[in-house]
Amino acid sequence: MKEPLLRLEEVSKHFGGLYAVNRVNLDINSGGIWGLVGPNGSGKSTLFKTILGLHKADEGSIFFGNRSIANLVPHQIYALGLVNTFQVPRLFHTLSVLDNMMVAGRGHQGDSLINSLFFRKNWQKQEVELADRAMEILELLEIDNLVGSPAGELSGGQRKLLEIGKGLMASPTLLFLDEPAAGVNPKLGRKIFEKIGDLCRKGLCCFIIEHRLELLFDFAHWVYVMDKGQIIIKGTPEEVVKNPSFYQVYLGD
Amino acid sequence: MDPLVYLLDFIVFIGIFSILSLSLNLEFGFAGLANFGKVAFVLVGAYSYYILSEIGVPFYLCLILCALSSAIVGFLVSLPTLKLREDYLAIVVLSFGEILKLIVKSEGWIAGGVWGTPVSPAITIDGVSSRVDALVNIGLVYFCLSICLIMAHFLMNSPYGRVIRAIREDEIAAEALGKNRARYRAQIFALGSAMAGLGGGLYAQYIQFIDPYMFVPMLTFTVWIMVLVGGPGNNWGAILGAGLVTFFDRGANIAKDYLTLPIDPSNLQYIIYGVLIILVLLYRPQGLVKESHVKTKALDRVSHERTTVEIRRS
Amino acid sequence: MVNWAQILLNSAITGSLYLIGAVGLTLTYGLSKFPNFAHAEYITFGAFVGYLVAEQLGLGLPMSLLAAFLITGLGGLLCYRFVFQPLAKRGATIIHLMVASIGLGFLLRYSIGAIWGWEPLYFHIDWPSYDMGPIRITSLWIWIIFSAVALSIILHLMLIKTKIGKAIRASSSNPELALASGININRVILITWFIGAGLAAVAGIFRAANTQIWPMTGWDIILPIFAVAILGGIGNYYGSIVAAFIIGLAENLGVVALMALGLSTSYRIAIAFAILIITLIIKPQGLAMLFRRG
Repeated sequence: MKEPLLRLEEVSKHFGGLYAVNRVNLDINSGGIWGLVGPNGSGKSTLFKTILGLHKADEGSIFFGNRSIANLVPHQIYALGLVNTFQVPRLFHTLSVLDNMMVAGRGHQGDSLINSLFFRKNWQKQEVELADRAMEILELLEIDNLVGSPAGELSGGQRKLLEIGKGLMASPTLLFLDEPAAGVNPKLGRKIFEKIGDLCRKGLCCFIIEHRLELLFDFAHWVYVMDKGQIIIKGTPEEVVKNPSFYQVYLGD
Repeated sequence: MDPLVYLLDFIVFIGIFSILSLSLNLEFGFAGLANFGKVAFVLVGAYSYYILSEIGVPFYLCLILCALSSAIVGFLVSLPTLKLREDYLAIVVLSFGEILKLIVKSEGWIAGGVWGTPVSPAITIDGVSSRVDALVNIGLVYFCLSICLIMAHFLMNSPYGRVIRAIREDEIAAEALGKNRARYRAQIFALGSAMAGLGGGLYAQYIQFIDPYMFVPMLTFTVWIMVLVGGPGNNWGAILGAGLVTFFDRGANIAKDYLTLPIDPSNLQYIIYGVLIILVLLYRPQGLVKESHVKTKALDRVSHERTTVEIRRS
Repeated sequence: MVNWAQILLNSAITGSLYLIGAVGLTLTYGLSKFPNFAHAEYITFGAFVGYLVAEQLGLGLPMSLLAAFLITGLGGLLCYRFVFQPLAKRGATIIHLMVASIGLGFLLRYSIGAIWGWEPLYFHIDWPSYDMGPIRITSLWIWIIFSAVALSIILHLMLIKTKIGKAIRASSSNPELALASGININRVILITWFIGAGLAAVAGIFRAANTQIWPMTGWDIILPIFAVAILGGIGNYYGSIVAAFIIGLAENLGVVALMALGLSTSYRIAIAFAILIITLIIKPQGLAMLFRRG
């Protein structure tokens, strides 16, 4: 019996009296693309934020491996290997694209005060390795030519790519992507999914919110459908598409 | 006053204020912290230096310990606000400075209360002129300044410096990438306070006198003008700002003696400071010297690689 | 023997003064999202305008209160219009706005010093005092408490009943929605700054009448006023009312404790500071949770 990577049990989050996330149960096992879809306001982003420590779950439990993570804060969640990316990219605008990527690097010895002041040799090698890795990812995403530009000067599509790049740079065990193809032209959107698909075939595990269903369903192997805070359908894309409730959810009653 | 001594004195002041300016640049320029209470940590340094020197501690230990005591106080004061929005820190440290001033005023046994107390200089060489005295202080102050500058340079040109800037730019994004903003902020604030304390100790032993009226919010905001005018986020900008503002301050003092103005010069000087702050913020918030960027081997590596690739492609 | 009745009265007076001084700060802080440190100088300026009208022009206290309210209110509005609004338009951060407010404060404080000098001035008004049982009260103190109550009620009615009041409440809690509902946010902001500075001026006159008039009049009480704004919840009008009296009471009780411990009573401002720190540690939003519709 394979241990799920991420497990949610009866997770709820409310604001005032309104339940944005209502008794959600879901499992993510390792590897592949896991989709989360649903109409606007169904609670998808809130669910992500609750898992990632940006909101505190009001009820239920969240397990990563066999570790309860419901009460952790974002930087602790990152440390366990769950990496968040933001739907509207949150970049460090005055820092270069390279620096944005380098900040995402995991376990950098140079991040410590003592090491940066005194034991500077300790991290020089790591710095170069991370830089190489950053360049690899930037080349994969085809924005390597922007490596020295301040992130604030990037176009909308380029920002999206950098946001994803940061996520990949963080060596995630489970990468959360919130609408990676939103706001970019369809060709670029498909390219993004193709690259993520490649990486997932090599072992990356992604949990993706996406409105471009035609894209997501081409690449995901399992989809959760949310409506009004609850998971109402789950299954492979083929199964979901055959489920009549799926259309009701999107067309309204 | 002997003009040469006046010049040397001016140089000492630039040195001391450069240390303070570097410390605020670290906190605000790099880390985005609103330290409105810089003077409080200068006060801690100055009074710690006095107390330590009185009990016979050698001057170099006094300086190290007064920096350390300021660091500890800085760390403690910043604790309640590390995870809060930047305005809370501003209010807390500004108020803290006022409270500290009140304490040293009211508790006369600490250091003479409102009347202040003389402080022994760090290095005394018998029978030398004031010129040599000033030179000795220049040596001492600029030695300390060099240490602070090297430290700030190493810190900010390292992965740590990258993280600090990232937290300043977007703390939510930085936390999402595993950076504990409270920890980094506490460290920077402690370091900045240590530098301020060092500056305070140097100041106390140079002026050879301290009283509570020397540690007023105006000192904090004079340092703010130095950082804003010089260029936040650049160590050299901070030093340039210190030089320029100290020059203006000296100029204003000289002008007081030689010019008759309709407005009392002490009032006028601070009116000008107020207007200057507003104008700089409106028209040149980045200051004179542009913000510096992280320079590490990563940057070299990437430039080298790109050049190699370009050579191969061509 | 501790005169508890007198202490309670003193608390009411202190609380009233802080209330009048803090309401303006908390409203502009909540609306414009930054603490205006020049608020201290609005208080000072009000005191000097009051001095000008009451003493130099000989027009008495009521005229001076009105004149100070209007003139300082206008001044506060102009400060927003010509300093803070342009900065905000250029993308100034909270820190930039705060530093600008400090600069503005210097500009105002030293201009006042240049005009009236730094020697303390005084209102030459006779405040008869009355002894009622264990307590002594002067007519100035009656004025202060009465004004605080009256202003609180007037502001409350304004916020609840008038169109502009409702607009202020809407803009504070949800600016985007307010804008979408057709509220002229700019007008709301200008009016809030006007009222805020005007009230500061009134506090300034009362503070100065109680102690002295000098360029640091506002700065002398700015720490407790900030504590009131934070304890009450930034932008929360009703919270600030409660907070003002809590801090007034704490300070006056604290003075009793200080005297009992043989410490200097000038430490009374440390009490407000302690409350500020405790609020930030335990519940940074202050009393705001008690008054959802602040």
